[in-house]
Amino acid sequence: MPNPFSLLLPALVPSWNFFDVISASPRVEYALAETRDAALDAWTEFRPRPQRLSPVAMLGRLFWNPRWNESLYLVSCAERLVEEPTAHGEDEIFRRVAADLAARSDAPPWLSFRLLFIDPTGEREVLYQAAPRLRADIDVR
Amino acid sequence: MSFDHALRLTEVLLALALAQQSLEHLRAFRRERILFGARIVLCGLVVAGVASPWSLVALAGLSLLILQRFRGPYNGGSDRLGLLALWCVMLARVLPVDQWRELAFGYLGVQLMLSYFISGWVKIVNPDWRKGVALRQVFAFSAYPVAENLRGWSGRPGLLLAMSWAVMLFELVFPLTMISQASLMVGLAIAATFHLANACLFGLNRFFWTWLAAYPAILWLQQRLF
Repeated sequence: MPNPFSLLLPALVPSWNFFDVISASPRVEYALAETRDAALDAWTEFRPRPQRLSPVAMLGRLFWNPRWNESLYLVSCAERLVEEPTAHGEDEIFRRVAADLAARSDAPPWLSFRLLFIDPTGEREVLYQAAPRLRADIDVR
Repeated sequence: MSFDHALRLTEVLLALALAQQSLEHLRAFRRERILFGARIVLCGLVVAGVASPWSLVALAGLSLLILQRFRGPYNGGSDRLGLLALWCVMLARVLPVDQWRELAFGYLGVQLMLSYFISGWVKIVNPDWRKGVALRQVFAFSAYPVAENLRGWSGRPGLLLAMSWAVMLFELVFPLTMISQASLMVGLAIAATFHLANACLFGLNRFFWTWLAAYPAILWLQQRLF
């Protein structure tokens, strides 16, 4: 477990290099299967953005925006996972995908996710794929 | 604006911003609900002016647990400024010497100014930003646009070039607005509009509230220095 003061330091001495370079951007995709060894070929984008958002909805999100902020957290997890794979990063993504699927009791029991990165030229590349986990084993409470 | 008034305003605005973020976490998992439920209570104490400065000390301590829970800030830059502001106002309350307290609070004002200037600098040295290509890429493929139809903005190079230069020039010129209180107010109003646009287009609502919370620090610093 990292030292919390080492995590705090970049906040106390910030770099402020927002958007200095536009690098490849991750998308989380998931797939469900009946068995652990089944071929995963039907990947679904996790929480795709809406086609449109009204100005009222945009302003409303100033005050209440939990799902979007959670999606941005998953972007951070995805970037960290590709740079340095950790159980924490994988657990965080699994938990959130499984929580969204929890209401679908009829869905297949095995869950996997992959991280698809889109670079500035539009090229798409899968840089990470998690081994399938049983949905029932993922703590979504 | 006096030191005490600016400090009090910053801690109240920051507590409200942190409470808003914390409420969003209450719909999440059990351990997060415990951490952020505690943060809401502490933010309430700060707003009410109860148990000062210990409510701020407790919030700073809790921030370490939250950092550990997510292995870093939950939402990048906005959470980083929130942490910086929290630790600065906490130190400005607990340090024993007046000059040290002013230094801690002034550091927040300096970092707020740098947050604009450095952001502008790192963009303008990048040819992609100067040509408007970087902003086109943000709209075209990044994870930030809140709706698919906003990706269509990537097909308007003239508009994005103008927006890129407007953002870069504003960020670079921002330190000059500290010449007077009036010019700084104008600069902060423009900056707040910029954060509002980012909140609407990219869903970065935490930036809006957190940066606004730190504005009294830079307003006080301007008066202190000029």
